[in-house]
Amino acid sequence: MNGPVAQAVAGNPEFARQYTNFRNTAHHALGDDLTAQVRQAVAQVHGLDQALGDTAPPAMPDDKSAELCVAYARRMPFEHTAITDAEAAEVIDAIGEPGYVALSVVAALADAECRAAMVDLPALARQA
Amino acid sequence: MSTTPRASSAIPGEPAHLGSVLAHHPELASQFMDLYGTFWGSDVLSARLKEIARMRNARVTECGFCRNVRFEKAVGEGLGEDVLDDITDGYETSGKLTDAEKAVLKFTDALIFDPDLLTGDARVALQKHLSAEQIAELGMGITLFLALAKALITMGLEPETMERTVLPTPEPVQREATE
Repeated sequence: MNGPVAQAVAGNPEFARQYTNFRNTAHHALGDDLTAQVRQAVAQVHGLDQALGDTAPPAMPDDKSAELCVAYARRMPFEHTAITDAEAAEVIDAIGEPGYVALSVVAALADAECRAAMVDLPALARQA
Repeated sequence: MSTTPRASSAIPGEPAHLGSVLAHHPELASQFMDLYGTFWGSDVLSARLKEIARMRNARVTECGFCRNVRFEKAVGEGLGEDVLDDITDGYETSGKLTDAEKAVLKFTDALIFDPDLLTGDARVALQKHLSAEQIAELGMGITLFLALAKALITMGLEPETMERTVLPTPEPVQREATE
């Protein structure tokens, strides 16, 4: 997984390194499989098959906590102000507070990266 | 939108805010601060233009914290409240915003709200006023503004009330060389 923003700032090695480190650390904090599920769910809300640079995630596990996380992530693109305390509490019960923090960052970053892909940020950053 | 923190501070003695909540993952918090400091420290694009994009994101995402923060560097570049007041719907007709600032706002709206806004004249205007390197830097900044504003809101970290606050501009982290 590389993503449109890392591609766009590839010409600036410091930005590219720091952005990639931040992004990879967020993904690692949530876990690779759940990150892949979350990113695909967010991409699908935007009408995309996958987030730019992603491959298809493994099959969704039959796991209530993963379902809760994906449902929470799907609210991020257009309903972030409507998420309730109860929804957040359910996620925290399922994956713990550090997991919830990582999920919030990963889902929000996935949404922002889908949007960056939809304006074709990498192409804008390559213009002559 | 909740103003009751949904995640606690991971720093003893500190209230829940974005930095203290991200500290549940210390490396993540540290890497975000590194990146954000490097972004604001870069002069490829002026702090004034970055702040204009940040303020537009604050309004569209309804991030009250972001909306009430000002960064010193942009204030020092002459960005006053009279200009910021025009970063609202209808900014296209503002007499206080420059054409370059309006192009940055349209790009911000396209990235955070509707990609179809960046077609035709808007795309030409963006590429007229900003170099590819500047667009890359701005695009990364807007991505961070959007993601962190949404993460902050969803984690219930919005303040109930907040005065307008001028903060030191984030700076690149200086580390001692280790050899």
